[in-house]
Parts: sequence; structure tokens; C-alpha cells
Amino acid sequence: MSLVHDGDASAFEVIFDRHGDAAFSLAYRMCGRRAMAEDVVQEAFLSLWRSGARYNQSRGSVRSWVLSVVHHRAIDAFRRDSIRTSRDVSDEGIAEQLPATERTEAEVERRDEAQQVRTALGELPADQRQVIELAYFGGFSHSQIAEMLKLPAGTVKGRMRLGLTKMRIALGNSAGAVL
Amino acid sequence: MTELDRTAEPRDCGADVAAYALGALEADESDAFARHLETCSICRDELASFQQVVDALPMSVPQHRAPPALRRRVLAQAGGGAERHGTAGRHDPASRRSLRRWLPSFAASRTGLALGAGLAAIAIAFGGVELGSSGAIRTKVFSAQVVGAAGSAEVRVTAGHAELVVHHFAAPPAGEIYEVWLGRPDQKPQPTNALFSVTASGDGDVDVPGNLHGVNQVMVTPEPAGGSPVPTHPAVITADLT
Repeated sequence: MSLVHDGDASAFEVIFDRHGDAAFSLAYRMCGRRAMAEDVVQEAFLSLWRSGARYNQSRGSVRSWVLSVVHHRAIDAFRRDSIRTSRDVSDEGIAEQLPATERTEAEVERRDEAQQVRTALGELPADQRQVIELAYFGGFSHSQIAEMLKLPAGTVKGRMRLGLTKMRIALGNSAGAVL
Repeated sequence: MTELDRTAEPRDCGADVAAYALGALEADESDAFARHLETCSICRDELASFQQVVDALPMSVPQHRAPPALRRRVLAQAGGGAERHGTAGRHDPASRRSLRRWLPSFAASRTGLALGAGLAAIAIAFGGVELGSSGAIRTKVFSAQVVGAAGSAEVRVTAGHAELVVHHFAAPPAGEIYEVWLGRPDQKPQPTNALFSVTASGDGDVDVPGNLHGVNQVMVTPEPAGGSPVPTHPAVITADLT
């Protein structure tokens, strides 16, 4: 990342090649529309290019940092998008799913970790998983979620806390713990 | 209800930690909680543990390949595009995905009609530029003429596979979509099943399907949604491949 900060375009290219698929996947999951997802990823990477200095190694991996920027950009895009259309992803085959083939040891490890996260999320009680997904992938505030689900705001926040706590335990206990 | 469900009542100051980690607090609440974090080590610790979980959430989504055109746009705008590093020829044609919609039955049944003599007249021959200096696969780039609209377009041909790329190009009129046509000397333009639109920033790319043997022009017309068996508008993009 220091090379990116120094304006090394080839280093930036490496960053995109390593994390572009994950970034697009997250944006596509959040936006549900390919064009919007592309815009989000484009904005995110260009902001990374311009602000490489802000990466703090002590606060996580480059991948986490990249994805957090993509996440924030998607939320910004939602706020600009006055028409809050459904963002449930209906693939329609328009985005190419990554093949299941595993090419490197790192990819195998990453795939295993992804499976653990999917399992941990999938094993949550539906009401807890729902509020976490609405908040993180949908970009909705707890107040909006409370209104949608006709629940007290405190209940929504409580479910978020329970859900994240269970995921933390599950991921911490899993073989090859993710956390 | 599990033991955890019964014991973790969110009555303490940590009630907002999870919502904060998920970015789900309202702006004023978030600011207030950030101030609270400065003085509460318990919440800081809990936030750190939750943040790890939140950071892992993107791993749970289905993985898709980032479109090659997106990569090109990002790298180009960063000032060090793929071409600068000689990587344009490294694109794997199998990985290309774009804004296309496949309409096989529609494409198979239709017959091409002439786009009009004016179409050929506006086409200006541009020499192809080969990209990629080291790899065996080379990409030849043909600039296209854009008519009646802003933006730019080019056709990239790699190993007999063509891709149309547009930048800063206007979206098709409401209810319409862009359709790609192939032209051969002394023949009527042939329709393809490549239909596309552009992103909000006017960028887009589409694979040009079909056999390129003998093709000397790639054209684009706006057509009714779903495409048309015959061109209903003049071409807005014309790329001469000779």
C-alpha cells in the first residue's frame, strides 16, 4: 500500500487484481444492480488510489480496508438514490459467477473462511440474521429496520448484538478460526 | 431461545455497540456513541470483537468476477491503465462478461436489413492499434465514430473475439436499448444478439458475438427494448475494422 500511496500504478493494479472480485461481489450483493455496483467499485478504488495514505495496517488487512471502503461507497450511493428500489439480488445471469476451481493455497483458505462465515450467518436465528443483513448489506439504520419490521428500536439493536455475538463465537471456535 | 438470548439484555451502554459496528446508528447517535467510546474501554473491546465479525461479512456473499471493462476504467482513471503496463492482451476472453442479454431465438429468426447507404458513408477507416508487447495474445483496438452523441467507443479484437467498449456515452432513450450489428462488404448488416446499455457514468462494454470472418464494420443502433430484427434508427456508433 505504501507503493500505491507513492503513486505506483502497477501496485494499484495488483491491489485491484487481488481484491477487485471481492469488491465487485460485495457491491453487487448490496446494490443488486450491475451498473450501480460497477459505479460503486469504481468510486471506491479511485478513492483508495487518491488516499492510500489512510490505510492503517494495525486496523486490519488490505482486503478488509478495501471492502470497508466499498461498503461505505455503496451506502453513499443508496443515500443518493432517492428511489430505494429493491436491492435483492436477482442474478439474471448478468454477472459471471466465479468458478469453483481453486487455484492457489490462499484461494483455498479464503474459500474455506468464506464458507465458515456463510455457515455462521446462516445458523443464526432468522430474526437476528435478518436485522444484520438489512443493516450491513441493505444500508438501513436500526430505526428504518424497526419501522420496516414493526419492532421497537431496542429490539432491533438487541438482535444485532445477539447475532454478532453468536457469529463471533462461531467464527472464533471454528476449525481454522476466521477471527 | 438460547442461554445467550436470555442473558444478553441490551440495557447497558453496550446496547449500541453492534448497531455502531454495522453502521446502523443514526448520524447523531453514531457521533454520541463515538464520544462514549473514548471513555468506555468495555465498549471499545466489544466493538473491536464485533468489528472483526462485520469485516468478515463480505466473505459470505456469492463471488462474482469483476468485469474486465470495470478494471480497465479504474486503472485508466488512476493514471496507469492496463495499456500502460502492457496487460491489455492478457484478458482472458472466457472471463469477459458484460451488459449483454442473450436472445437466441430472436437472433436466429431475424434477417438483417440494410442500415442505409448513409451508414457506410459516415464510417471512417481507422487503423487498428495492437496492444500487448510480450504475450502471445494481442489485442487490436479500432476506434469508432460516434454520431449524434457525446462519448467515445472502440472495438477490441482479441484472438478473433471482439468487444465493444464505450465511454461517457449517453444512455439509450427511455424504453430502448443499444443493439450491435455486423457489416460485411456488399452485404446487408447482420443483427447480433448483443444488446447493452451503459452505466450511470456512461461506460459500458459488450461482447460482440458471432463469426468475425469477413466483417469490416461493427455498428450500434438504438432499438426498442428487447432488440429489433431490423434497424429502426441510424447507427450511433460505427467502427471500421479494416
